[in-house]
Amino acid sequence: MTAAQIFAVVIFVAMFVLIVLDKIERHFVTLGCGALTLTVVFGICMRSGSAIWDTIAIKGFATKEFWYQVTESESKGINWATILFIAGMMVMVEGMAKAGFFRWLCMKIASLVKCKTIPIFITFMVMSAVLSMFIDSITVIMFLAAVTIELAQLLKFNPVPMILSEIFCANLGGSATMCGDPPNIIVGTSLGFSFFDFLTNTGLVAGICLVVSVIFFYIVFHKEIVDGTDKPVDISKLPQPSEAITNKKDFIISSIIFGLAVVLLITHATTHLTVATIGLAIAVLTLITAGKDALELIKKVDYKTLLFFIGLFVVVGGLEETGILKLIADFIGRISDGNVKLMIAIILWVSAIASAFVDNIPFAATMVPIIQSLSASAGVPIETLAWALSLGTDIGGSATPIGASANVVGTSVAAKNGHPISWGRYCKKLAPATVIVLAISTVYLFVRYL
Amino acid sequence: MAQLIISVGREFGSGGRVIAEELAKRFNIPIYDRHLITEIAEKTGLTPEEIEKYNEKPKHIIISRKVRGYSNSIEDNIAEMQFNFIREKAESGESFVVVGRCSESKLKNFSGLVSVFILGDMDAKIQRVMKIYEMDEHDAREFIEKKDKKRKRYHNYHVGLHWGDSRLYDLSINSSRLGIEGTIDYLEQYIKARAALEESK
Repeated sequence: MTAAQIFAVVIFVAMFVLIVLDKIERHFVTLGCGALTLTVVFGICMRSGSAIWDTIAIKGFATKEFWYQVTESESKGINWATILFIAGMMVMVEGMAKAGFFRWLCMKIASLVKCKTIPIFITFMVMSAVLSMFIDSITVIMFLAAVTIELAQLLKFNPVPMILSEIFCANLGGSATMCGDPPNIIVGTSLGFSFFDFLTNTGLVAGICLVVSVIFFYIVFHKEIVDGTDKPVDISKLPQPSEAITNKKDFIISSIIFGLAVVLLITHATTHLTVATIGLAIAVLTLITAGKDALELIKKVDYKTLLFFIGLFVVVGGLEETGILKLIADFIGRISDGNVKLMIAIILWVSAIASAFVDNIPFAATMVPIIQSLSASAGVPIETLAWALSLGTDIGGSATPIGASANVVGTSVAAKNGHPISWGRYCKKLAPATVIVLAISTVYLFVRYL
Repeated sequence: MAQLIISVGREFGSGGRVIAEELAKRFNIPIYDRHLITEIAEKTGLTPEEIEKYNEKPKHIIISRKVRGYSNSIEDNIAEMQFNFIREKAESGESFVVVGRCSESKLKNFSGLVSVFILGDMDAKIQRVMKIYEMDEHDAREFIEKKDKKRKRYHNYHVGLHWGDSRLYDLSINSSRLGIEGTIDYLEQYIKARAALEESK
């Protein structure tokens, strides 16, 4: 191994350990490790200005393909399209939350099913999955879990099974589209896939898995949920959906912008607008229509996550430029010995197991160049490996309370309201559900792509 | 009377809790220690035993994760509830004594705060623990070290500063020097002087 490779690996491992230890905020960790990669790996060891330039990838902004893409292309280094898109969606979601959109939607659905516990349980699972196809699962669960607890207090049911099911479905819904989960945005923008590509490939299996999951959770949870709900409840005391709307004008505008974002995403393969353009357009539109509240929305954007992404891409760029990821790809190629089924199974299940315990974003960012290399050397279509990676990272995260952001937020909201969820309680039902969905995904990948 | 908040940090076995209870009696103000658990239990619907299980305990690093200020760790969430509780009490203008819960740092912006840290000689702490918990010397020493290690990790994680560092507290006092009673008398005088000063502002 060369000195550059050794330093790239050491920096990467140190970054992962520091993220897990949580002593230093994770964006400082990735930015610090990114700076070390640029100076030590590229500057001192490789003496390569072009490696630094390629990894920072800032020149991409000036190219037409960054904003308008007729032919699909792959990106390298800092994935600015991912960052810009996530930032844009963050602004939009803040606008929607401020107007009361999410709370209104939850209350509206609850009132449509006449506040009956089991119908709420089922519709909230579906809503969680559908919303997560377009909006980050953290926001979806933040609102859904809070409303579930509020309804649970009024309707006297146990909110924990419902929150656990919502978490699972949010992660599943996220796997269905390119913008549903950060790993998918990374996979999509890095490998040049469209929203529609995801919808017709991972989306299809996510839909099948959603049906199975709803049935599974109904079987394992329905007794626990209905227990204690036999007492009469005065429905008139329940909050009205309209009470959730803080400002009618803002509510209408934010709903229209959300609808526009969905349309732009679904049609972006036809319009050739990249996700970077869509993210920027949606953010600008939200800010213009917010008027004097624009500054407040900008302040609420989670800059730490965006900085975390920037640092992370640089560190992964270090592994890529030094050829470490190619070595890993060659290793996977060797152990699968040309057996494509085994290769797919390794990517899907290793991604899933890893994502159950570590942040799936760095994992996906690291795996993208690996599957690119593997595809080139083993002659397997990149799409097949990409769908295996997406499904593995998105779904695997559901297995444990720390596997995905939605799990952390959901269990935290529950705990803060007097319903602590231990690891045992969480894994008892969600780990088997994850295994079932992964098994379905494995069969799906084998049948459809081999 | 101006607001008085007495924050008592303590080493295990130093008599800190007894000192805090006696100070609460002498100043005729409520104390939040065990009571903090029961109040949160009432508020959340959890049982006091459930809260006690996670009370003043550090989270398990490997099986915990934080996202945008949300944590899956039950220890973290119970701690946050307790911090919010004492902060709300302080904001309401109430005077009280609070034991532990990083209160010297969490309430540092309240002018009525008097923070003390009670430490003790290891031999004296062992004798005290042996008597109260009916343990032999070896077990008592291990018990003290284990408890203090947890308190230290809990404090340092939530505050980012070192538990027991004299710079965090108005006063650090070794209860083995004056004994429990003597320490209480001494602290009472100190707190009265501080309260008088606060009153005159």
